[in-house]
Amino acid sequence: MHIPDGFLDPTWIIATYAVTLGYLALTWRRASELIKGDRAITVSIFAAGIFVAQMLNWPLPGGTSLHFVGGALAGIVFGPVVGFYVMFIVLAVQTLVFHDGGLTTFGANVLNMAIIDVLAGYYAYRLVVGIAGNSRRSRLLGSFLGGWLGIVLAGLAAGVEIGLSPSFPYGVTVSVPVMVSWHALLGIIEGLATAFIVDYLYGKGGLAAWGGRL
Amino acid sequence: MTGVLSKYKRPLVLIVVLLAFSPVFGVILAERVGYHEPLDVAAEKLGLREWDLPEWSPFPDYTVPGLPDTVGYVLSGLVGVALIIALGLALSGKGRGG
Repeated sequence: MHIPDGFLDPTWIIATYAVTLGYLALTWRRASELIKGDRAITVSIFAAGIFVAQMLNWPLPGGTSLHFVGGALAGIVFGPVVGFYVMFIVLAVQTLVFHDGGLTTFGANVLNMAIIDVLAGYYAYRLVVGIAGNSRRSRLLGSFLGGWLGIVLAGLAAGVEIGLSPSFPYGVTVSVPVMVSWHALLGIIEGLATAFIVDYLYGKGGLAAWGGRL
Repeated sequence: MTGVLSKYKRPLVLIVVLLAFSPVFGVILAERVGYHEPLDVAAEKLGLREWDLPEWSPFPDYTVPGLPDTVGYVLSGLVGVALIIALGLALSGKGRGG
């Protein structure tokens, strides 16, 4: 899901950086109130866990594979603001230290995995738990749907970004079906992993000790 | 490990265990199945090509120059984890081992 340099049109590079910088500016103050003291350590260890989980590729023989992304999980556990910074830090380290994702495409990768994936996961979870009540079953369902939807929408966004360019306007009719169908399938694994981790963390007495939101 | 981190022993142990196994998934099996993502499939259909920019990262694609890919993968992971947690410690204002 990490878009490398060369895949994006200049229009998309500028637009996605603008959205990312705007989101940073909007959330900065709230984040600096939330991410301090012990909670800063908690958030960083969680981010480190997501960074490592992303290194564990799912080896699907003969097919297209993926790895855990974790944006929805971060959103469910920490809420949309802190969840964004969890993923932002992971993506920044991946890009700068390991060349995983490009520099010109960093804005797009943040938009897809730190904004769209996080918000989709957070709101899907909140919606399900809000409607069905805070039972174990609704938490599992909400976090599964959040993980799945987050991946599908992030994949859709990436498909639009690489496929929709003024120089090649019909590419989007190719890239979006590929990205959405594959991620709808592979997103099931992300959904299951998200549900399992949320259930585990909740079973540990909620996330009060983590400074989170469950 | 600094005293501040001692109460996070369990998640830290989990991270190290996952890292120890990471080359199995990230290197060995990934090579065996020819790991590629939906994004690679879409890019190929669109004919997109990655730019050949000068390498800016010290550990490109989670490798350490001169070391086998499996060892480099684990070391890269440790570097990434250390950087992220160092940032957390710095933001917490408790980074001096207290």
